[in-house]
Amino acid sequence: MAAEPDLWSGRLALGWLIGGEWRFHPGRFVLTAVAIAVGVALGFAVHLINGSALASFDGAVRGVGGGAELSVRAASPLGFDEALYPRVARAAGVRDASPVVKLDARIGSARLTLLGLDVIRAAAVTPALVGIAPERGNDAMFAEDAVFLSRAALAQTGAKIGAHVAVTANGRSVPLRVAGTLPGAGDTAVLGVIDIAAAQWRFGRLGTLDRIDLAVSDRAAAESALRGLPGATLSAAEAQNAQGDVLSRAYRVNLDMLALVALLTGGFLVYSAQSLSVARRQRAFALLRTLGMPRGGVVAAVAVEGLAIGVVGAGAGLVTGYVMAWAALRWFGGDLGAGYFGGGVVRLAFQPGAALGFFALGLAAAALGSAIPARLAARAAPAAALKNAGDVLDPRARVAWWPAAVLLVVGGAVALLPPVGGLPLFGFAGMALLLAGGVAGVPWFARVLLTPLARRSGGAVPRRLAIRHLHGAPNDAATALCGIVASTALMIAMATMITSFRGAVDDWLGQVLGADLYLRTSAGAVFDPATQARLSATPGVARAAFSRQLPLTIVPDRPPITLIARPERGAHDPLLVLIAPAVPLPTGARPVWVSEPAQRLYGWNPGDSVTLPIGGGARFTVAGVWRDYGRQTGAVLVDAHDYQRLTGDTGRDELAAMLRPGADTGAVTAAIQARLPADLRDQVEITRPATLRRFALTLFDRSFAVTYLLEAIAILVGLAGVAATISAQTMAREREFGMLRHLGLTRRQLTAMLATEGALVGLTGALAGIALGLVLAQVLIHVINPQSFNFTMSTRIPFGTLAAVAAALSGAAAATAILAGRRATARGAVQSVREDW
Amino acid sequence: MLRWIAGLALAAVAPAATPYPVVRPGITLRFPQDHGAHPAFRTEWWYVTGWLRTARGDDLGFQVTFFRTRPQTDPRNPSRFAPTQVLFAHAALSDAKTGRLFHGERVARAGFGLAQAREGDADVAIRDWRMRRLPDGRWATQVNADGFALTLALSPTQPPLPQGQGGYSRKGPRPEEASYYYSIPHLRVSGRVTRAGTTEPVTGEAWLDREWSSDYLAPEAQGWDWTGLNFDDGSALMAFRIRRKGGGTLWAGGALRRADGTRSVFAPGDVSFRPLAIWRSPATGATYPVAQQLSVRLADGIHRWRLQPLFAAQELDTRGSGMPVYWEGAVRTQGGRGYLELTGYAKALAM
Amino acid sequence: MTAPRLDVRGLGKSVPGPRRLFAGLDLAVRGGELVAILGESGVGKSTLLNMLAGLDEADEGTVTIEGSTLGPLDEAARTRLRRERIGFVFQAFHILPYLTLAQNVALPLALVSSDSRAAQARAEAMLDSVGLGGRGGDYARDLSGGELQRVAIARALVHAPALILADEPTGNLDPETAARVLALFGGAVRERGAAGVIVTHSDATAAIADRVLTLTAQGLVERRGG
Repeated sequence: MAAEPDLWSGRLALGWLIGGEWRFHPGRFVLTAVAIAVGVALGFAVHLINGSALASFDGAVRGVGGGAELSVRAASPLGFDEALYPRVARAAGVRDASPVVKLDARIGSARLTLLGLDVIRAAAVTPALVGIAPERGNDAMFAEDAVFLSRAALAQTGAKIGAHVAVTANGRSVPLRVAGTLPGAGDTAVLGVIDIAAAQWRFGRLGTLDRIDLAVSDRAAAESALRGLPGATLSAAEAQNAQGDVLSRAYRVNLDMLALVALLTGGFLVYSAQSLSVARRQRAFALLRTLGMPRGGVVAAVAVEGLAIGVVGAGAGLVTGYVMAWAALRWFGGDLGAGYFGGGVVRLAFQPGAALGFFALGLAAAALGSAIPARLAARAAPAAALKNAGDVLDPRARVAWWPAAVLLVVGGAVALLPPVGGLPLFGFAGMALLLAGGVAGVPWFARVLLTPLARRSGGAVPRRLAIRHLHGAPNDAATALCGIVASTALMIAMATMITSFRGAVDDWLGQVLGADLYLRTSAGAVFDPATQARLSATPGVARAAFSRQLPLTIVPDRPPITLIARPERGAHDPLLVLIAPAVPLPTGARPVWVSEPAQRLYGWNPGDSVTLPIGGGARFTVAGVWRDYGRQTGAVLVDAHDYQRLTGDTGRDELAAMLRPGADTGAVTAAIQARLPADLRDQVEITRPATLRRFALTLFDRSFAVTYLLEAIAILVGLAGVAATISAQTMAREREFGMLRHLGLTRRQLTAMLATEGALVGLTGALAGIALGLVLAQVLIHVINPQSFNFTMSTRIPFGTLAAVAAALSGAAAATAILAGRRATARGAVQSVREDW
Repeated sequence: MLRWIAGLALAAVAPAATPYPVVRPGITLRFPQDHGAHPAFRTEWWYVTGWLRTARGDDLGFQVTFFRTRPQTDPRNPSRFAPTQVLFAHAALSDAKTGRLFHGERVARAGFGLAQAREGDADVAIRDWRMRRLPDGRWATQVNADGFALTLALSPTQPPLPQGQGGYSRKGPRPEEASYYYSIPHLRVSGRVTRAGTTEPVTGEAWLDREWSSDYLAPEAQGWDWTGLNFDDGSALMAFRIRRKGGGTLWAGGALRRADGTRSVFAPGDVSFRPLAIWRSPATGATYPVAQQLSVRLADGIHRWRLQPLFAAQELDTRGSGMPVYWEGAVRTQGGRGYLELTGYAKALAM
Repeated sequence: MTAPRLDVRGLGKSVPGPRRLFAGLDLAVRGGELVAILGESGVGKSTLLNMLAGLDEADEGTVTIEGSTLGPLDEAARTRLRRERIGFVFQAFHILPYLTLAQNVALPLALVSSDSRAAQARAEAMLDSVGLGGRGGDYARDLSGGELQRVAIARALVHAPALILADEPTGNLDPETAARVLALFGGAVRERGAAGVIVTHSDATAAIADRVLTLTAQGLVERRGG
């Protein structure tokens, strides 16, 4: 539209117009602003929480890493031979090298990372890891009993400087003196530092290193010189940060998407509200145009309203979002209960960029929601609009179905495209298109749904009137419904996906938790061969399968996979649920069974040859793919004998015991407990499968709790929208009701008519939403889920949820219609008919 | 940042519990064994200072020092990282023309072939820094620091000069406050110096000090002034004084070996230092008597030498590698040249 | 004699299909003159009025208001012309319920000026002149139909237009009220020297006009008003 100077000169009239509307319908403005605010608040809160959690995770990684630009890291917690140290130190391009022993340790119940350092080398390479003693603690640095704790470690352990603490790691508990602090480690790393020689000696790590931090003079030379080290990988600081990012990225993106859904629903709500408001003011606009307001004036008025809604809503949303993020971090933690950033301390970090972004999104949602009605209003000829007494419906008008069909087909096709950078971006784009298509198809859907009902003559008058009104004016219903259809569809989609996921996990747990008792060690403690033999011989135990689980780094910038070593050869483990059928192995090949996520992440297919970084790099052949919902980053299973031959590691950290028939579980548990060595007793946890299963499902529900919450909010926004729209539409038909009452309808009959209409609108929305939701669920289950989490599953429909949603929607819509109808019919019939506006 | 190493290396940490051998008089130095390390003792150094001249005739002062220290550790610790021996090295180059002092340092715990001090003959190394005695009797050293590098061969022209009573050099009022100490003056130097990427040949004359001890400084000592002078006539003079905390001299000593090989050993009362010029370090704020008058009572009366520095700013701040701040400078005197060392001026030294 | 305020020459309008609404229509209205146009339902009275206001395009002929011919003007210019030189009175009053009466009357002023106080002061004066003095702060719901139409007349005159167009101004009023409103309207138009055009199907309404014309497919036919 060309710039019209008249627009500016007419600003007083426009101001009166907008001001009058707001004064008379403040509730409508507040509601639409709230809808925008909710979307912005959710999006901003989720983003803030994710950003803060990630920043803290990065901080912790940086803290533990000490700022080394490049490090040689062990592929697994078994570490690598310290003989590698002089080789690395002398490598081309390396200026200095600092050897590190790294242990997962605990002090009391607080977990921390314990680093063993040569303080001289660390001073040159990672000065941030050098401890400071409060006063002339000179000898403390080489003292075998001195530990330096980071601020977070001091806070979590409650230890004071000078205190003596028992530090447990690698199955050993060692008394140490808190000699000082680690000011360079930052606020989030839970870190302790001791002398490297003491770490090797006191924690049973003689001859082994876990990391060598490097200061390089020529990075390229160092990288080429240090390629292919046995049992270790060269990784940059960025790669370590990337691990945390990769681990939780899919989860975070999903949450962001859900938050955007809420915003989208808010946008639809603005659209509904503004459409109605424009329709109601059609004649006011026409009058002003007749009196000489330019065409742009209408657009300007509606746009200014939309922007005002956007500014107020988005501003309130930012504040609310910040408060929500703060509260969520305080009560749920940085991963919102999903367990991605275990144990870290998360501080809320305000992100001005994100705030601006979400403000803009909120504004855009409000502006777009207003733009379409504004353009429609401006297009109407003023004279005709002024003359028309009301909406002229043509029940014969065809309802176009093809735009919806095109959107749906394109959406479906887009959803099938492969992921981008490990993220299901096309999946989400496909969902958005499907959603748009679904919403666009609502009028057609309403018409199709109501045609058989409309054709039937007879029945009560109110019901017939209701059906005919909806049948004749499906676009009215669609305006009311687009928000609710969108939010219902997304909620149903999420609910279906989660139900399917949870069902699959539940089944899988039933299959894998086949043993009667499970023993698991903590803090690196292991069952040595003698203990293993003693435990196997416990009376009542029919079969004891010991296993070893280790994180194993395959690629430096991806989180480690889990290596499981279990007696597998010969006696095939019934607990292994294979997806792909086992393939016959070439003779002499070492078998490895890979989990489904590992297969998808690393492309390991049955029959492939795989090199794992244990025993200096060993070749395995993929013998099968097993289902695993437990380890998103992948897992591989190798035979315990192969593992032991390659690594020499005889320790095991888990025991699955099958009991003899008739054996008393309690008695056997006690017997096992008694057979454990005394120093191991408090580091072993004995659980039954039912407990494990319950624990796993609790964890599952916790990780999806926020998802449920977001959905519920989206649907509430949608319901509020439908209520507002229906009540506005009902009020607008006051004259029609007056006429009907003139014709002899009682108020009771009118109410019945409105209730029926409302219920039908709600039901139509629910059915459309459910149908669309089930389609979207398929995208979630078969595209987004595998691409984000690398799990596949089959669909399970949550019938209870579907019924509840349908009932809630129809009920809410009917109730709203009745309430609005009461008000609309409260005035006398004569007055209603005479009433012009 | 690493003051603790200084403390560790030099502090008198609970001497009662120390398993270190005590320095006593009455030994005889044996070579080449005593060129090599004495790891049981707490502290030891190989200390070379000298003057170099480039082909263009520019004068340079240089210092290459390797220290060895034995921290207190649990002897049962079988870890190869156990810090049974820690090595430090300093190198410095004083350029009279620019008045600039370059220096660099290395620290490491011994082990893994990356750092060690050999027993039996001199061979000390920290990664690519090394000082050793070659089979032909020459000494060789190589250091590679930021901004400069030295590759020098040092040929003895005189036999080693045992200090004190046949190598037992007392440092304080108690007899165990002493070190085993010999010097090799008048080492003929040839080699290469690299500065700012350009390498040039140099020749010159140097002084080697070898000292090992378990209890070097008395608790009441503040620091010391030391000088080693090569005279043009072939004679060599070493003199030191241990300064008392709060002022005054706690102990002093030294020796003069004439060109004919005759030796005069100085008693504490024979040696005195008198400041002639004071220089204040802008970096540390410490004030150093960088020009001094050395007076020594010999049989034929008191002899005086004025020690004039090549230039004043020859302070070494090696706190970054865990060593103290000290002044180590090339000095001229009548008929000779050498080095003056001033310690304990920034902060009392413990050793 | 002064040039006519409204000068219509050879105006014609077709509607979809073979029928022509009217053609060759000529009309000249001078300042202070009130002309009534009578006609049956569907003959095109409202269309003619819309064409006079520049809200509908002519198929042939010209409409000239105070020397400005509408035909060549673009929409913005026609809008401006409407805003400055034309006043409207509608059958359904069209008083916006959420604005005060003063604001309603002042709307034409508010479209060209941002001086709210001056506009409303003038509106109050205008309301006073239609017998509603002191009621500028009231809202439409407080008024009867006749009062509402008087507000509408005030709004039509507030910006001293050259031409006042009224479409069945008394269609929603009882005869007694209608007569009073019409008298007010006629007096106001004449007093301010504007050209007035009333479109109506009521003889009673037409009776107050200086001239009465009947709209037929052939154009306007003059008859002696009584």
